[in-house]
Amino acid sequence: MQNKKKYAFLKKLTPLNVLIVLFMAMVVLSIIVPLLYFVTVAFSSVNEISQFPMKMFPSFNVEVQVTYISDPEDPNFTKYRVQVKEGDSFEPAFTSRNSLEIEEYFERYLSVRKSGDEFLEDFEVTKTQGTTVFKYAKDPWYNFKAFFNLTVNGVQSLVNSILVSLMTILISVSLGSCAGYAIARYKFKGREKVNMMLLIVRMFPIVAISLPMAILLIRFNLFDSLIGLAIIYSIPNIALTSWITSGIFSGINPELEEASCVFGASKVQTFFKITLPMTFPAIAASSMYAFSTAWNDTITALILTNRNSTLALAVYKAIGSGTSDIQFAAAGSIILILPALVFTFIMRKYINQMWGASAIK
Amino acid sequence: MEKVFDSKPLLKKRKGVSKKVMPWLLLAPSIVFYLLFWLFPVIAGTYESFTDAEGHFTFMNYVYIFRDAEFGTAILNTALFVVISVLVQYVLAMILALILNMKFKFNKLLLFIVMIPMAITPTAVAIIWKTGLRETGWINSILTAMSISQDTIAWLEADGLSAILMLVSIDTWTVLPSTVIIILAGLQNLNNEFKEAGAIFGASKWQITKDIVIPILKPSIITSLLLRMIAAAQMWVLVVMVLGYNALPFMVERIAYYVEFVPNAPNAEKMAYAMSIIVAIIVFITSVIYYKVAKRNSVMEANDAE
Repeated sequence: MQNKKKYAFLKKLTPLNVLIVLFMAMVVLSIIVPLLYFVTVAFSSVNEISQFPMKMFPSFNVEVQVTYISDPEDPNFTKYRVQVKEGDSFEPAFTSRNSLEIEEYFERYLSVRKSGDEFLEDFEVTKTQGTTVFKYAKDPWYNFKAFFNLTVNGVQSLVNSILVSLMTILISVSLGSCAGYAIARYKFKGREKVNMMLLIVRMFPIVAISLPMAILLIRFNLFDSLIGLAIIYSIPNIALTSWITSGIFSGINPELEEASCVFGASKVQTFFKITLPMTFPAIAASSMYAFSTAWNDTITALILTNRNSTLALAVYKAIGSGTSDIQFAAAGSIILILPALVFTFIMRKYINQMWGASAIK
Repeated sequence: MEKVFDSKPLLKKRKGVSKKVMPWLLLAPSIVFYLLFWLFPVIAGTYESFTDAEGHFTFMNYVYIFRDAEFGTAILNTALFVVISVLVQYVLAMILALILNMKFKFNKLLLFIVMIPMAITPTAVAIIWKTGLRETGWINSILTAMSISQDTIAWLEADGLSAILMLVSIDTWTVLPSTVIIILAGLQNLNNEFKEAGAIFGASKWQITKDIVIPILKPSIITSLLLRMIAAAQMWVLVVMVLGYNALPFMVERIAYYVEFVPNAPNAEKMAYAMSIIVAIIVFITSVIYYKVAKRNSVMEANDAE
């Protein structure tokens, strides 16, 4: 009975249901298609990126058509004309006999890494066979390597991003949950004011804090340091954490804690054995928000760092407001997205619980 | 130990800290943190905004900003962006959440797909859409392949309202998931008895949604809406990375512009300070008004219900 009911909605072909299915199809397409093209760009060579229309799926091979050109007057003269497949046709690329030139073109424009002499050896057959089509495997990680080679301290910036995120989570969750507990559990003078202050803190744009913060950090010798960044990222997140956790704390029945105390547990034990497990969803959600502030920020890192850049800043700098080499920046973004994707999906169910709890309240 | 059952004083007495001091002890780390790392920079920034390059007191930073023709445009653009994006996102999110809340076969898979953009960093989002909006980008590729338009469209040359709408679409693409989740969580936790009661009294599906579901969701929507508005008012990465500096002025884009684009003029940094103060004041006033109006409406509706 229950099961029949479950799928009944899709079996009836009412106009509303058709509309819903169409709407969902649109939504899914508008999410998937941009991502598909994005991945394709990250794996595209310079040659592919300049083609129009763009391919939707990445390709890992490139086909070239090579023609041998001889000069009857001069027996020493040999040259190859190389054409690259674009869509259904072969477009002229270059003509050369120089192994270095061939090697460079293949690497720079087609993302194929192979020594020039090997190309010349391959091309020998065209002397007897005439025009031949060759298929070469692209280096799939070409843009990724290029991104890390082009950015100063590329790998270090990835490590920095991870460290800064962890520090931000640590600071905002530890300070914020204490504040949240105080707000939820104690009726004290000025509670409303504290609540209001926590909201005001979030309204000041983080850029605005970053500028004068530079002065302060230089004084403390923390300029261009990761902890300096983590401090700034914690500013909105301590407030957010206390707001999220206070909602959950006030939802937990204090009698549970009291019961634990009655049975002889210390306050600290009670906190770790009873209160903390129950607030875990709120803490997980708070850490996710803290993580995304630290992981996504560019402007603060731009103002407060010189050499200790974060990954998001490295990606931003790789493209800035220009358009060139967008495929390298795209490759960098893929590395930037992956950890965030994993983290978000692990923490997702806790956000669910958290907002659900606040809705009931 | 006679008073075992009167557990409240027991909790308190354990550590010998009174109930008046305890909350402040718990709040102390955050308060110290904010005094040092929030209040101090804010005061320092405010001070800086009233000084010139030599450190003398001046109002000129503000005067320059108000005189700047881009300033008014930046305020207007930001206001339009906030209003349109929040409206579009909440209506769409509401529809999506209501659909995802129904029980059907691919429910979980759909939710998973809808979630994906949430995890994508703003810089990456900007790159995704920049590769799309270029003249030889994927949007034009699709349009040509489907033969919707023969000529390629120069998306990135859009200006004014159409450029704002373009940014709203991009912003919606990334923000929609988190909004959907907030509403969906509320829906899933909603007590089914309310809906059943409504159905028994003969309410239609639409009436149940309008008169039972949405009012119950309202508190969490009001708060999440405020946080969303604050975030939307501070949008800048998208516009700078997609359209470039100065193409379409926004409030925080101005700050970043003063900081990054004209870094060698000593005046520019002071103007960035002044602009930060202005943005903070505008965001603050708007939030307070919003909060008051939202609260009053809730109270009025409660009275109407009686």
